[in-house]
Amino acid sequence: MRIPKFEYFQPSSIEEVCSLLYKYKEEAKVLAGGTDLLVKMKKKEVIPKVVISLKGIPILDKIEWDDGGGLRIGPLVTHAAIVNHPMIREKYNFLAETCFKIGTRQVRYMGTLVGNICNASPSSDAAAPLLVLEAKVKLLHLYGERTIPMEEFFIGPFQTILDPQEMVVEIQIPKPLPYSAGSYLYLHKASSVGETLVGAAVLLTMEPGEPICKEIRIALSSVAPTPIRAKAAERILRGKRLEEKRVREAAQVASDETQPRSRAWYRKEMSKVLVERSIIQAMERIQ
Amino acid sequence: MKKRLIELRINNDSYDLAVEPQRTLLEVLREDLGLTGAKEACGTGECGACTVLIDGKPILSCLTLAIEVQGKEIITIEGLTGGGDLHPLQKAFIQYGAIQCGYCTSGMILNAKSILDENPKPSREEILKGLEGNLCRCTGYNKIVEAVMEASKGED
Repeated sequence: MRIPKFEYFQPSSIEEVCSLLYKYKEEAKVLAGGTDLLVKMKKKEVIPKVVISLKGIPILDKIEWDDGGGLRIGPLVTHAAIVNHPMIREKYNFLAETCFKIGTRQVRYMGTLVGNICNASPSSDAAAPLLVLEAKVKLLHLYGERTIPMEEFFIGPFQTILDPQEMVVEIQIPKPLPYSAGSYLYLHKASSVGETLVGAAVLLTMEPGEPICKEIRIALSSVAPTPIRAKAAERILRGKRLEEKRVREAAQVASDETQPRSRAWYRKEMSKVLVERSIIQAMERIQ
Repeated sequence: MKKRLIELRINNDSYDLAVEPQRTLLEVLREDLGLTGAKEACGTGECGACTVLIDGKPILSCLTLAIEVQGKEIITIEGLTGGGDLHPLQKAFIQYGAIQCGYCTSGMILNAKSILDENPKPSREEILKGLEGNLCRCTGYNKIVEAVMEASKGED
């Protein structure tokens, strides 16, 4: 399988990337890890005239942390870099764990977290965990920048809010709260690289020493045109005692919030099961 | 598109090449340099047959542009030992019958090497997880996992 011809640029600054995007607009594609873009090009699903590689800007592979702002992940940070990062394992273990579930060993060493969300697959394994972490995405344009919540980033299957002239320069993840833990559980098709059929992420914060849910966020992937937050389910648990019956009810409501198009019965049932299990796993991780 | 002059460092040798930007490392290895150990099977990043080591990491050469790996240390199965004796992983694969048609073997061995370099004493589960991106249609994987376990013992 051959990649169609294109004009290749490897700029050495972010400004140059933006200038090229400004000039070529829809004709250009930004290349990071290549595990999605080059496959689409081989299949002739995407045929860009211009490919702009980020590899000439090594600073883009930075993982940065500060006490005020939290975590910032650049567009060349691979899944493997997140899995192996001691600070992420300590403060955001659930994100490291999620990235370990993505793709295969080779794909984790090549593919990037930013690339994963830019691909905007409804079944992205990174999306639901980033939604519950209330991550933000910083977008840069030759003439400005904007930072938008993850929830507004996905607008449809394989579609994002990203303008053809913009690039994602970082994913921002707020500081983790005390007495909180996350969980991401998924079911996928039979092969190891099989697409995820249902993914459920939970980020739970409890009252210290009490089985009371102070804050909870629930997100699901592969069960709607985009990854979604299950906010009605969150409302059932927020501020309440975490009892078996209430957790079940919330899981049912989360399942009702999904809009799967294919294998709908299975996906709805498994949404319920995985949300319940994720809540329980997050609880166990706090205690 | 115009060809670009690039320099690749492969198996400790340096190669000057003129390549078009859309050509993959796999195409250049096989077609320009005659290094046919890395194989193309799926071409879309699922099977691992094209795996090579780039700066020690297991990388799919079918989804890597040749012009993007200049200045990096590329190791293919041909350069695993630097000539002479076989690598302990190669010996273990032979000993355990972990090869049949051989199509997956070079990718399997190079990925296994990267696993052992990262974790010299992996558990069976860690080997299985590490090799999940290398498909084999012949052996049923047990012999491959046994061979990697054996090679890990030998590295004491």
